[in-house]
Amino acid sequence: MSGFPSNTAAAQGWANCHTCTKLSSAELHHCPRCGAALHLRLTDSLHQTLALLVTAVLLYIPANVFPIMTTDQLGQSIDSTIIGGVVLLWQHGSYPVASVIFIASVLVPVGKVLSLGLLCASVARKDVTRMRQRTSLYRVTEFVGRWSMVDVFVVAILVALIQLGGLLVIRPGVAALAFSGVVIVTMFAAERFDPRLIWDQLNADALEERNLGFGNE
Amino acid sequence: MALSGHIACLECDLVLPMPELDEGQRANCPRCGHTLTSRPLDGFQRSLAFTLAASVFLMAACMFPFLTMKAGGLENAITLLQSAREIYENGQPVVAVLVGAFILVIPAAVLLGMLMLLVPLLQGRNAAWLVASGRLVFGLSPWSMVEVFVIGVIVSLVKLASMATMVLGISFWSYVAFSICMTAAVSSLDRMTVWDSIERVSVR
Repeated sequence: MSGFPSNTAAAQGWANCHTCTKLSSAELHHCPRCGAALHLRLTDSLHQTLALLVTAVLLYIPANVFPIMTTDQLGQSIDSTIIGGVVLLWQHGSYPVASVIFIASVLVPVGKVLSLGLLCASVARKDVTRMRQRTSLYRVTEFVGRWSMVDVFVVAILVALIQLGGLLVIRPGVAALAFSGVVIVTMFAAERFDPRLIWDQLNADALEERNLGFGNE
Repeated sequence: MALSGHIACLECDLVLPMPELDEGQRANCPRCGHTLTSRPLDGFQRSLAFTLAASVFLMAACMFPFLTMKAGGLENAITLLQSAREIYENGQPVVAVLVGAFILVIPAAVLLGMLMLLVPLLQGRNAAWLVASGRLVFGLSPWSMVEVFVIGVIVSLVKLASMATMVLGISFWSYVAFSICMTAAVSSLDRMTVWDSIERVSVR
């Protein structure tokens, strides 16, 4: 049946419920145990993941260009961006805090977009190498997603705490909104990617192509 | 192959026989390494205990001062809710709603869902809301960002330490305890075990 590798549930026409992990015949459309929709594979997984990744990249631009917060001190306004905040902390010698913000606000979101993009590309190329490592990469990507919210939470605390009348006030900036968007959109992107597609390339056709390829070398 | 008695790996779709686990054991997919299911020691009791403790700490975290800043004769104390409300009043209502949801509303909903799941399941009784609670708990828990917020607070404290004296309130400590209990409660709850139990009590 179909192009699924013979040792998979999909080859038997069985769908694994994503909500409750019950195996059922895919013809049921809804899980008999929990009522969630059943699919052999997530519908349009690659397209939806890519669309969400593009959205994340677009949102990441205003998140870095506009200020994440503005400090009003004695009539003077100072805007700070995400990167600007990291640089300032680094210059003041707060290396651990600067690192936390840099990892959460730059490394994690950029890394997530790159790794999901790489995973989509590898599936589209019908790559059959390092499947276990790619699955691990997916697992890590899914796990770290929420940790990017740290900087937005820092802004929330600073805005609430630093309201000293006309002397010193901190206001949130547009970048806080754009950056929250990046976090949410990349979390959805990770959710929409179906890691089973990585393993589906182990079907007979793909292996044959690969063996032929080796024969020609 | 017969459908019953089998499961499939969620991450690579390999068909496997249903694992029979003893308490304290965990089953991983032999092909991709995904954790299929686990049976933590006293899973449901432990989860319920941490859920109850987390609920108490969350309530406490909402009632007392969270942080107080003292600088140059000025003093400003905030509550947990204010960290979301001030963002709302300073021109970013959407961010405020998101922050409030991630640190307070969603975790509270997950806790409530866990109570409604675990109490009937531990008594071996069916309840009309079991399926809905299960979907709520497993669907919402990725969006509960309690530990992330704790890290955010610590970062803010370090940022402000040089310019002001920071006083940690009862709410702060309650929230830290809440985050530990919440993580323990969620991590001792296994998806497959919960749904198998729901099925068992609802068939009967």
